Amino acid sequence: MSAFLVFVFVAQSLSSCTAPFRQKSRAPEGGCIYGGEVVIGITQEPGLFDPHNAVAAGDDEILFNIFEGLVKCTPSGELEPALATGYTISEDAMTYTFTIRSGVVFHNGEMLTPEDVVYSIARAAGLDTDTPLISELSGIRAVEVIGDSEVRILLDAPDAELLPFLTVAIIPRSVADINDTPIGTGPFKFSSYRVCESVVLLRNNEYWQTGIPYLDKVTFKITADMNTAFMQLRSGSIDIFPYLEPEKADQLRSDFQIISGESNLIHVFALNNRESPFNIPKVREAMNYAVDRTELIRLLMNGEGTPIFSGMSPAMGAYYNESLDGYFSYDLEKAKALLAEAGFPEGFEATVTVPSNYQHHVNAATVIADQLSRAGITLKIESVDWATWLSRVYTDRDFQSTVIALTSEFTPRDVLNRYVSDARNNFIGYENPEYDRVFQMIGNEPDENIRIEQYRQLQELLAEDSASVFFEDPRNIVAVSNALSGYEVYPIYVQDMSLVHYN
Amino acid sequence: MCTVFVVSLITFAAFYVIPGDPARVILGPDASEGQLDALRAEMGLDRPLTTQYFDWISGAMRADLGRSLTFRQPVSRLIAQKLPVTLSIAAMSLFLTVIVSFPLGIAASGRPGKFLDQFLSVLGHVLFAFPPFVLALLMTLFLGLTLKLFVAGEYISYTESIPGFIASLFYPSVAVAIPKIAISQKFVRASVIAEKEKDYVRTAKSHGLSDIQVMRRHIVPNSLVPIITVLSILASEILGGILVVEMVFNIPGISRLLITSINTRDFPLTEGIVLYLAVMTVVVYFIADILHSLIDPRIRLR
Repeated sequence: MSAFLVFVFVAQSLSSCTAPFRQKSRAPEGGCIYGGEVVIGITQEPGLFDPHNAVAAGDDEILFNIFEGLVKCTPSGELEPALATGYTISEDAMTYTFTIRSGVVFHNGEMLTPEDVVYSIARAAGLDTDTPLISELSGIRAVEVIGDSEVRILLDAPDAELLPFLTVAIIPRSVADINDTPIGTGPFKFSSYRVCESVVLLRNNEYWQTGIPYLDKVTFKITADMNTAFMQLRSGSIDIFPYLEPEKADQLRSDFQIISGESNLIHVFALNNRESPFNIPKVREAMNYAVDRTELIRLLMNGEGTPIFSGMSPAMGAYYNESLDGYFSYDLEKAKALLAEAGFPEGFEATVTVPSNYQHHVNAATVIADQLSRAGITLKIESVDWATWLSRVYTDRDFQSTVIALTSEFTPRDVLNRYVSDARNNFIGYENPEYDRVFQMIGNEPDENIRIEQYRQLQELLAEDSASVFFEDPRNIVAVSNALSGYEVYPIYVQDMSLVHYN
Repeated sequence: MCTVFVVSLITFAAFYVIPGDPARVILGPDASEGQLDALRAEMGLDRPLTTQYFDWISGAMRADLGRSLTFRQPVSRLIAQKLPVTLSIAAMSLFLTVIVSFPLGIAASGRPGKFLDQFLSVLGHVLFAFPPFVLALLMTLFLGLTLKLFVAGEYISYTESIPGFIASLFYPSVAVAIPKIAISQKFVRASVIAEKEKDYVRTAKSHGLSDIQVMRRHIVPNSLVPIITVLSILASEILGGILVVEMVFNIPGISRLLITSINTRDFPLTEGIVLYLAVMTVVVYFIADILHSLIDPRIRLR
């Protein structure tokens, strides 16, 4: 989530310490039809329905409609009030106090109480087990109920950037197995899940926001792959399909509205900084000059992507360092010269390991291999299945290079955390003491403007060191049936069905 | 029983060799160590795979196939949910194979070497050469998308509507059946021709029976023995054909489940499905033996 506006907001509120949320009315405008069913196509099997454990993108997509947190993300990437009506942050940024909304009913009919909020946050932060389920919440020391309707969160250390993580789902204390019986407060309630077939959600008639949702029933239909989904779109058995390939979108234009938005993904030709020859900075730099981003985006996405040069997407707004735009230009001669300086005048041979279930990454690797061959580099494509990729490349870091999209993150800290030397997800093995030092400083920095500068500096370091070849933020292209309105593209991986309605 | 055990052992060996951590696949790259550890402990993934296998096999002996790692449901419940789908396709394709290939084979045997026989022979060769998934793709393209005879990728669950369910499985069954019809038709033809040349046929005819009576009462029953053997082999091949066809037609049957389970390294689920498929194959051969003995009293089960 590009929660930049919120951070500015938080920073301002630090001095005043009280920040009532701005309540935006989402009541229906005239002409909306209530009722009806919508089928939305997904290609990933939802693994889990426990919102504190489900972190795979495919799960979030669905769960966003069932569960809600104290705050909630909007399509523009801001935070808006959900189960809290307001909050205060103490001067030292170590205590967050939330006022819990009254009159909210869980899908099982129980009233939301501050105790449920405490239970949920304690569970997600692992206060009883010592292993936090959501690591971003590990800084929480204690959660307690204050009075009738307030919840206080106490932190170990100052943290002014915690709010976006309080989108963490609030679940009822009374439900023992939340994965089996997913009960939340969201606009839709879970109805059924048939493995490999569908997840069915029904309208929550007790939803606390009056006027929404419109639809009676939402079916997330699980298809084997993008091609089957495409056939079903054409035949009309799917109404909405996100993350569409651009050339497929073109074939659908007559029957569908094609909506697109920034996906906030970092599509990267990732180089293993600890593996020869990519452990040599000049070689990595040469890669950045040898890859023609414009051509790559044209071939891959029909031009529907934004070229990037460091590890952040422009969707992150103020945190994005736009001065790095065009940091590398396609320059074959320069690439060859750099290779020669690095001791590879004749080029070299390397392997790119790509996850075969993502056609998009396989295609990208093919184009990149072709572009690099012009600089005398032979890039062998090795495609492996997702499970193999996760354990060999991502966990064991046993690879030379790979192509992957780093998913939309909540905050700039999440985006850039993975390049800290000892970060467990620093799979490219990037190491720069200066980077670690600046990153460390941000954690203790109360001033938002200084933090913005520091985040921008981190991106500069990544570009200077050519940590990898960051090449695009592809647009999220969604096909929506002409009969529907209200679909919004989010800069995070969710499908919000609450505003969708028939015309 | 031994066959089934060997199959489960081979599956285990495959899992032992291929890399992949189910907890990571379920939770995705963004999972925290806390989430991974919690899941591994919950699912028993912190134990060595050999231990997991022995636990699984000892459970399987007691008819307990364990719980799926990905879906958090008993493996047997998942299989029970998907098996009717796959078995329906199998039954429908076998049915189609029999009702189409028998008349064709008998017709072709009528006048060997003449036009109809030659035509069917060539057609048979061509259709036999088409793998089911190619047929499935072609059918989806022409019959589904161009002629709009069916909605591509539409699947109606048997829990919703039985006729709808059968209709949505019809084209997949045809795709699986066509190559089988092509081959079975040739066997029927050959078998009928072989019987025709036997002495008893001449005897029957000399007793004044008409050609049709001879065909119905003598030749067809006698030629069934080798055909049943072929059909039982085809029946187990049909299972293989369905594997891919289900993917093309987006039918959520046992093969979608199998492929998903392999992709997610869901060890108990893969083992469970493989076990079922192995048992089914054994059962098919067993049924073929019973049928043999029914048709030919000389063959008795011992």
